[in-house]
Amino acid sequence: MRRAIILAAFAAVLGLPAAASAADLVFTSWGGTTQDAQKAAWADKFAGQSGINVLQDGPTDYGKIKAMVEAGSTTWDVVDVEGDYAVQAGKAGLLEPLDFTIIDKSRLDPRFVTDHSVGSFYYSFVIGCAKDAVGACPKTWADLFDTAKFPGKRAFYKWSAPGVIEAALLADGVAADKLYPLDLDRAFKKLDTIKGDIVWWTSGAQSQQLLASAEAPFGSFWNGRLTALAQTGVNVETSWDQNITAADSLVVPKGSKNKEAAMKFIALATSAEGQKDIAVATGYAPTNLDSPALMDEAVRKTLPDAQTASQINADMNYWAENRDAIGERWYAWQAQ
Amino acid sequence: MAIVADTRGNSAFASMSYWRVSGIGYAVPALLLLLAFFVLPVLALLLRSVLEPEPGLGNYAALLGSTTYLRIFLNTFLVSAVVTVLSVVIGFPVAWTLAIMPRRWAAVVFAVILLSMWTNLLARTYAWMVLLQRTGFINRTLINLGVIDQPLALVNNLTGVTIGMTYIMLPFVILPLRGVIKAIDPAIPQAASVCGATRWQCLTRILIPLALPGVAAGALMVFVMSLGYFVTPALLGGTSNMMLAEMIAQFVQSLVNWGMGGAAAFVLLVVTLAIYALQLRLFGVGRLGQQGN
Repeated sequence: MRRAIILAAFAAVLGLPAAASAADLVFTSWGGTTQDAQKAAWADKFAGQSGINVLQDGPTDYGKIKAMVEAGSTTWDVVDVEGDYAVQAGKAGLLEPLDFTIIDKSRLDPRFVTDHSVGSFYYSFVIGCAKDAVGACPKTWADLFDTAKFPGKRAFYKWSAPGVIEAALLADGVAADKLYPLDLDRAFKKLDTIKGDIVWWTSGAQSQQLLASAEAPFGSFWNGRLTALAQTGVNVETSWDQNITAADSLVVPKGSKNKEAAMKFIALATSAEGQKDIAVATGYAPTNLDSPALMDEAVRKTLPDAQTASQINADMNYWAENRDAIGERWYAWQAQ
Repeated sequence: MAIVADTRGNSAFASMSYWRVSGIGYAVPALLLLLAFFVLPVLALLLRSVLEPEPGLGNYAALLGSTTYLRIFLNTFLVSAVVTVLSVVIGFPVAWTLAIMPRRWAAVVFAVILLSMWTNLLARTYAWMVLLQRTGFINRTLINLGVIDQPLALVNNLTGVTIGMTYIMLPFVILPLRGVIKAIDPAIPQAASVCGATRWQCLTRILIPLALPGVAAGALMVFVMSLGYFVTPALLGGTSNMMLAEMIAQFVQSLVNWGMGGAAAFVLLVVTLAIYALQLRLFGVGRLGQQGN
């Protein structure tokens, strides 16, 4: 009897890896409300149509992708990553080339398509402000960096990624078309002027908490998180002036055992319908050019793709090239 | 060591081999597990630190030659030391009270301490964030009471990290200390006071010295755990007092620079082992693991 229990325990332990059998597709993203939306809009539908079970994993971890590929045991089939990482990892040989006979790229926004990745959704860094907590709201990046005119804490994204450095340069008066290559010395000098007034946010949920509690009554936020916050009844003002776009991408790590299913999943996720659903659910913009036509006008005008008048596209290729160097400098500066 | 010596002295066990008496045989599964899942991966990481991006000690030179990284090292030790001292200072009276309380009440307090340990770490840390922030409960209450006019900066800085980590580390001091204190023979302090010792003398010359092995065990545990702590500093700290574990996580997950990550992890490991060795030197392994006697 006792032996049987021990054997059963062993079988259970050994059986665990088999739970994600080769037939199941593993989708990995960043968790939170965004992954919930991706599951509802893409994974559940894909499972219904293809009969292939989709397992959710997360959060996305670039160290893990590298480890999986190097060890030759890739267990993630489709991963939502940042756009600049997708470019860099594609060049480093960590990703499968996408099969564009299965994925229709003719109607995808070409800004977010590479041989190894397609746009998952795109978002803007915008200026958010808790209207009830302050007398006046900053409207431009220059305002947000002006602590005399707008005293108080301001929230910024903590990790090294497109967005904050661009904002600093724009605030310092660099013309939008002269942003790249980024003048890092100038950017850090500008950031130094507000360093003591910055509260860093590490996740979308935290950014919402900071703004809703007026811990930081204004700052730079992902537009979708502000939309979601406004829906909960918080009085939020969004300034789209010089909003800075960046995209997430869908990629297939090298050595995926479900390549074909992964391509089909990405095809569904980037279809007009799949992109419409994710945009409506998250407040981020679709990367399929046919999606806007399928949406309600009321929703349409809250998305970044309706805010192109003074929009700035973060240069993913520049970032892919310089990601490591900027990252090291960024964290060193933060820790000073 | 004491156990081995005792058992050998007993004639009934004298014929047993050292192997069986010391019980190493029973530890083989655990040792194999450690070898496969701890020692080998650590060695692999160490190898990377001297092989990536190119063979040599470049990563270590970059790490130890940069004032930024040195500051992070220093800060890590500073925070760990402050947290250790506070945990002992706060934990000692609690452990004491627990040891002398009526059994039933002690069980209740014990349950509270254990429950807080078993609650999800992230949930507890977020709770502190809500309590400590400028618009949080503590600041609002103090302002409403008229104690302060401007909110105190309690979070996103060293204060926040210290408060959050001390709270999390307290049980690791209280639990071993309580065991040691409980094992102190109540007759000893009684004898002391009969002989005319004041309460203060009783405490400083009898009770604290007798409880010292427990203090050392708890303090070591807290200090070493704090050195490698990640979640709480990441959420309650500011970027200017980053701790080493955060830096390692950035190297590994976000910058995908495993060479530097490995080097930083290895330096931390060496320092931790050195502290452990020092502690062994001062207190001995027997007394460290001992619960009283």
